[in-house]
Amino acid sequence: MRRFLPLMLVMGSAAAAQPADPAATVIAVPPLTSPDAGSRGNEMLAIGWQITQLIETDLRQTAEVMALQPNRDDYYSYPEVTAPNFPKWRSAGAKALVTGFVQSRSDGRLTVGCYVYDTQKGRELGRKGFIVGAGDWRRAAHKCSGLAYTAITGAPGMFDTQIAYVAESGVGDGRTRRIALMDSDGYNHRYLTKGGAMVLTPDIAPKGQQIAFVSYADGRPAVRLIDIASSNERPVLTSDAISFSPRFSPDGSRIAFSMMNGSNSDIYVVGASGGAAQRLTTSPGIDTSPSFSPDGSQIVFESDRGGSQQLYVMNADGSGERRISFGGGWYAAPEWSPDGAWIAFTRRAQNGRSIGIIKPDGSGERALTNGVGDEGASWAASSRELIFQRVGPGGRSGLARVALDGSQPRAMTIPQDGSDPAWSRVLDQ
Amino acid sequence: MKRMIVFFAAVAMTTTAQAQLPGLRKRPSVPPPAATPLQGIDALRAEFGTQSGGTTIFFGAESVGLTVPARTILAAQAAWLRRHPEIVVRVEGYGDSGDTRDHAIAVGARRAEEARSYLVLMGVPAAQLSVTSWGKERPGLGRAVTVLVR
Repeated sequence: MRRFLPLMLVMGSAAAAQPADPAATVIAVPPLTSPDAGSRGNEMLAIGWQITQLIETDLRQTAEVMALQPNRDDYYSYPEVTAPNFPKWRSAGAKALVTGFVQSRSDGRLTVGCYVYDTQKGRELGRKGFIVGAGDWRRAAHKCSGLAYTAITGAPGMFDTQIAYVAESGVGDGRTRRIALMDSDGYNHRYLTKGGAMVLTPDIAPKGQQIAFVSYADGRPAVRLIDIASSNERPVLTSDAISFSPRFSPDGSRIAFSMMNGSNSDIYVVGASGGAAQRLTTSPGIDTSPSFSPDGSQIVFESDRGGSQQLYVMNADGSGERRISFGGGWYAAPEWSPDGAWIAFTRRAQNGRSIGIIKPDGSGERALTNGVGDEGASWAASSRELIFQRVGPGGRSGLARVALDGSQPRAMTIPQDGSDPAWSRVLDQ
Repeated sequence: MKRMIVFFAAVAMTTTAQAQLPGLRKRPSVPPPAATPLQGIDALRAEFGTQSGGTTIFFGAESVGLTVPARTILAAQAAWLRRHPEIVVRVEGYGDSGDTRDHAIAVGARRAEEARSYLVLMGVPAAQLSVTSWGKERPGLGRAVTVLVR
C-alpha cells in the first residue's frame, strides 16, 4: 500500500478549475485503449469506454479523489499506456493519471490492464492486470478504481466490495424480510433467502463467501450461516437458546455473538465451522453487539450493566473489560473500523438515534449524522465511510452512506425498503 | 406503560382437517365465516383469553418487571395451562420500538423469560413452555411477548 501525500498537498490550482473539495486529488481518466485491431479492436475500445466511465463514477463518489470528466475523442495509443504524455495531463490540472487497455483473449475472456501515475513526477504508482469474463468488466473497473484510490490515499478502495442487507417488503407483522446482496454500486442485486422466515443483521465473512445472520426459521432468533454461491443454510449452534448479533473475526475463523441464558445476555465466540461456544462475558444484564478489532485481539461490545447501554472493550478471550463511552444517552451497536482507528456506534437519545464515531481509547467522539432513526453502521473497507440504516419521516427504512469528512449522508438506491446493511471487505480476484 | 401480550396460538394439528390442496378439485362453497363456530386452535385461544382475563400484559419503557395486573393475568393463564397439560405454548417477548436492534431482542427475551418464570412459579411444568423474542421487529404490538401454542 502506498502513501501519496505529495499529491494531496499540491492540489490548489486544479481545485480552482473543478467544483471539488479542495483537499481532493484531481485524477485524469482518459479512455482505455486496446492493442487489438479491426472490428475486435472496436469491440474492445467500446468495453474500454464503459470501464473508463465506471472508474470515473467510482472515484467521483470519494471525498479524496476528483476524477476529470473523460473525453471519448481524446484517446491515446497502446504504447502510451506505459509511456503517457505527462505534460499534457499536468496542464489539464491532473496530479494523477489512470491509463489502461482491454485485450481480447483466445478463450473469449478479456485482459484488462490498469496503470496509475503521478503526473508531477512522471512516475508510476502502481499497475495491475485482470483477466475477467466478457460480461464481468465491471469488476475489472472496480479493481482499477481501487488501485488508483489506494495509490492516492493509502487506504483500501471499497469499489470491488459487496453490501448485504435485509430487504423488507409488505406491511405490518406480515412484512417479508430477505437477505439481499449487491455490489457496492448497487449492481448484481439478488436475494439469498426466500422470505419464509424473518431474518436480521447479516455480516459478510471476510473472504466474502458466507454470510452470518439471524433467522427465525425455528421460531426463535438463532445465528445461521448461508453460503453465498449455493444459498445453503445451516445453524451455527446446536443448542436451542436464543442467539443473535453475529460478527465474524477478521480472519473469518470465528464468530462472536450474543446468547440468552435465562434473562441474561452474554457475548460468546464459536468456530465458524462449528464446535462448542465459549462464553466471554459473565456480567448480569444485556451484553450484545460484539465487533472484533482488525487484528482480532480485542472485541468492542455494548452492555447495560451500568444501568444504560454503553460501549466496552475487552480482550478477545474476555479479559480486561473496560468502558470507553461516557457521554449522555445510550451507546449501542459498535463496529470497529478495518484500519483500527475508530469505533462507529449508534447513539440513542431522547430525540432519536444517530451515528457517531469514537476512538478505541474513548477519546475523539464525533457525531456523523443527526437523523432521528439512524442505526446499524457498517464500515467501508477504506475505513473512511460508513453505510447505515435510516428510517425516514414517513417510517420507510432505507440505506444511506456517510463519509468521515463531515459531508452529508447520501441515500442508496435499493429496490425496496432495507435495514441492517453490512459492507464486505475488498474481495479477492 | 407496562405491557405484555400473552397470546395463545393455535394447535397446529387441528388445522389439517380443513387443509385442501389447491387446484385438485373445485373448491366447495363455504358458509360465511360468522356462521361457523370457533373450532380447534381458535376456540382454545378464545377460551384462554376469556378465562385468563386477557392475552396481553403490559411493560413500561425499558422495563422487564411484572406489574400487579400482569401477575394476575399470568396466574389465571397458569391455572388454565395446568388444566390443559397437553397444550404447549411459546412466550414471545417484544422490545421497545425506539431501541437498537440487538438490544431490543435481548429486552424482548428478558420480558418473555420473566413471564415464563412466573408461569413456572405458578405451577406450569417447564416442558409446556418455551420462549422467543421478536425484539422491535413487530412494532405494532409495542412492548410485548407472544405465547404460541404449537
